[in-house]
Amino acid sequence: MNERESLFRRLSAACGERGAAVEEPLPGGAPTAPEGDRVALFAKTFTAAGGVLLRGPVEKALSDLGEMLRSEGVTALFFPEDDAAAREIAEALVPFGPFNLTTGAEVRGGSAAVTAGFRAAEAAIAETGTIVETSAGGKTLLPGLIADVHVSIVPAASVVARMEEALAAFTEDPPRNISFLSGPSKTADIEQTLTVGAHGPKKAIALMVG
Amino acid sequence: MELNANAFGRNARKALLDKTLQEALGRTTGRFQAHRDAAVAALPEFEATRERASRIKGDVLDHLDTYLARFIEEAEKRGTIVHVARDAAQAREIAARIAWEEGITLAVKSKSMASEEVSFNEALQGAGVTVVESDLGEFIIQLAGEAPSHIIAPAVHKTREEISLLFERHLGEPRTDSIPELVGMARKHLRAKFLSAGMGVSGGNFLVADTGSVVLVTNEGNGRMGTVLPRVHLAVVGIEKVIPRMADLPTFLRLLPRSASGQVISSYVSIVTGTRRAGDPEGPERMHLLLLDCGRSAILEGKYREILKCIRCAACLNSCPVYQSVGGHAYGWVYSGPIGAVLTPLLVGLPEAAALPDASTLCGACADVCPVKIPLPDFLLELRSDAREQGLKTPGEIAAMKGYAGVMKRAGLLEAIERIAGVLGQFFTKGKGISGLPYPFSGWTERRDFPAPAAEPFRKQWKIKRGVTR
Amino acid sequence: MPYTTGMDPKGPIPVSLFFTCLADAFSPGVCTATVEVLERFGATVRVPLSQTCCGQPAFNSGNRKEARAMARKFLLSFPDDGFIVTPSGSCAAMVKHGYPVLFRDEPRMLARARAIGERIFELSQFLVDVLGVTDPKSDFSGKVTYHDSCHLRRGLGVIEAPRKLLRAVPGIEFVEMEESDRCCGFGGVFSLKYPQISCKMTERKVERILATGASYVTSGDLGCLLNIGGLISRIGYPVKTIHLAEILAGKTAGKEDAG
Repeated sequence: MNERESLFRRLSAACGERGAAVEEPLPGGAPTAPEGDRVALFAKTFTAAGGVLLRGPVEKALSDLGEMLRSEGVTALFFPEDDAAAREIAEALVPFGPFNLTTGAEVRGGSAAVTAGFRAAEAAIAETGTIVETSAGGKTLLPGLIADVHVSIVPAASVVARMEEALAAFTEDPPRNISFLSGPSKTADIEQTLTVGAHGPKKAIALMVG
Repeated sequence: MELNANAFGRNARKALLDKTLQEALGRTTGRFQAHRDAAVAALPEFEATRERASRIKGDVLDHLDTYLARFIEEAEKRGTIVHVARDAAQAREIAARIAWEEGITLAVKSKSMASEEVSFNEALQGAGVTVVESDLGEFIIQLAGEAPSHIIAPAVHKTREEISLLFERHLGEPRTDSIPELVGMARKHLRAKFLSAGMGVSGGNFLVADTGSVVLVTNEGNGRMGTVLPRVHLAVVGIEKVIPRMADLPTFLRLLPRSASGQVISSYVSIVTGTRRAGDPEGPERMHLLLLDCGRSAILEGKYREILKCIRCAACLNSCPVYQSVGGHAYGWVYSGPIGAVLTPLLVGLPEAAALPDASTLCGACADVCPVKIPLPDFLLELRSDAREQGLKTPGEIAAMKGYAGVMKRAGLLEAIERIAGVLGQFFTKGKGISGLPYPFSGWTERRDFPAPAAEPFRKQWKIKRGVTR
Repeated sequence: MPYTTGMDPKGPIPVSLFFTCLADAFSPGVCTATVEVLERFGATVRVPLSQTCCGQPAFNSGNRKEARAMARKFLLSFPDDGFIVTPSGSCAAMVKHGYPVLFRDEPRMLARARAIGERIFELSQFLVDVLGVTDPKSDFSGKVTYHDSCHLRRGLGVIEAPRKLLRAVPGIEFVEMEESDRCCGFGGVFSLKYPQISCKMTERKVERILATGASYVTSGDLGCLLNIGGLISRIGYPVKTIHLAEILAGKTAGKEDAG
């Protein structure tokens, strides 16, 4: 008998006959979907999570973003080759630079330049202030993973009310990676003092479009 | 991890005298709790969510064989290689074999309490693998050669001055008392490790049965890096971490960060399922999952089953005045605070940790905050009773209890003793408190007075007043 | 929320006093005060004299055999009808929640334990929730802060009743301390097994009490008060411990055994 069989023998003995497992999710518990404007709620929760939300007229948002990136010392804008929305925003930011554009592998190798990573979000969650990114369809997660600043491009129509809605698409066959990103990388491991940029981005920016 | 739980009393006394520790606890104590209370108050559905989570976990434990089998089937379908370890020795052996077969020389690890149970790092190091802890707190204590003292804030006992000293000594960084600078130093050092490690090691907060997914919740992003960048991902997870469905995950995600740190959600939740798919630009080529029994199936069988509902949020630690007084190391093993006082004896055997269930005033603060409603004080009482039944109590305590019960059997005898004590007490203390008592009461009178017994107990007074003759 | 008794609300209110072994031996004034307050609100108080200890110290330390013997005696000491009232949240919680555990394998005793558990109340709980008292008619005066005994607050869920009563006494300036619901460090046997930790907790409690500037700290459990008072008396802090029952009874109560 191998270890696994032996484990299941122990578990079955311990569980005994306890009737069938509950087949449907138990009712109750989930907060009712928030009333009103999901985008407005997202703006509130994302900000509470330490993120910065930019919305409104594109020109204004771009110039604000450019200034924000410069003040963070960003010199390189990194976007995935196949992410049209990210490319569009990154390219539009060049005049606010000086910024170099890159889709490149050098970022992965640990670029010395301060980098902003751009990526289109798959969804956003109003309840928690969360950007949803997944590896579905061969998409990369690097912009929000290794860059110093993460810029998410969020279509307003992609904002869902609660986590339930965001996960509904993945109950059958999820991609390798589903990531909920809520604000910058944080730590309070030293004297419980909240500090950003432990491993991931020091700044998380969401640019609301559409 | 080395077990030293029965030395709780000695460990605690040492902790109380440790000025640095007391200062660290003083700087942090209560903050978690205050944040948690505020976050809970802001979610009107918190109680309903808690109830639901407790019921889901109850259902899982009642049918753990079914749910775990489903999980394994789904995980394997998606390329995860599932291993099962009965005990710590087996877990170490399997981990070392995985590292050897995958040709790993450097592994980056994110926080995993389960891995501490089996002394995971030592096992890999024994197999020639360098293991770097990547959670900032774990990284700090790894440099210091210590064990975690808190489930979610492992270096809560270290001051910034101590940390800067460690970074100077081990990383060659200049001294600083700026916390952001310290964080930056660790980031730089660990980023290089993430980019070169062959294997990322993680724990797992939840295992989703209907999809075979492993869910990781972190704030720093280390769990995310370690499961995206290295070629191999190894998750070390206890078998009780299964939840039935993806649809149940939000319930737990609402409870865990709120209970742990008072956040609405942690910065990062990674739901990882199997290996990288065809066409994925990154992600591990190999995914191993090491499932730990290590005493869990035995717990499942008995009256403490519900302790396996625990989601390791540490709210019970943060609420516990005993934990706040002595910190986590006093508990002498991986888990501390109320959860440690119950779980440690159950995992390592009561004879090895009988001191822990006594390390509580039964104030009940832990049960108030537990997000899955584990009756921790009831379990502490139950374990104390088990200790008596297993012959783990001192003959002195048993004799004292027998004597005391003997007196209490007869009101007349009690009254006679009270009157003698009253006369003696009043004579020696002149109605003031007693400042020195013999063992086992000597601890009390070290820094507190003990009241003198009344000259005339109430029973006697009542009899006189109401003219009762017998 | 009024407690439904099924009894004639205008008829006599039969109460058996569960005076507790601790108060009997160390603070008989607390028992006298409890009787005085109960009688003030129309209760007919009888005192079963065969009662001793509910067995909590034995139960809490895991010595169930001895606890069971005491619990059995307790259950036989009290009559089959009327209320049982005690000036201790901890002892009431023991009977209510501890006894069903002790007798879980003895159906007959379990039934009796449950029945008695239904009829047992801590004093402030009884006054407010059962009798509907809003004015305790006490002439006590002074600045008072209140410590939540863990077992009264969490064991019985009694949080507001003592506060309502204290606030209703005209001579009392009531002031909440910070962390009023934090354990004082007593924990029964805990204070003997781990006295240093216990003391550390008590010190924090006393700091919070002193910060209020109150002249009195009160509580619904004598155990807490003996513990807190032990530290206060050793250092000589300018604050007195006094049981809730004594405050409710008023100025004249419990003077003879003060100290």
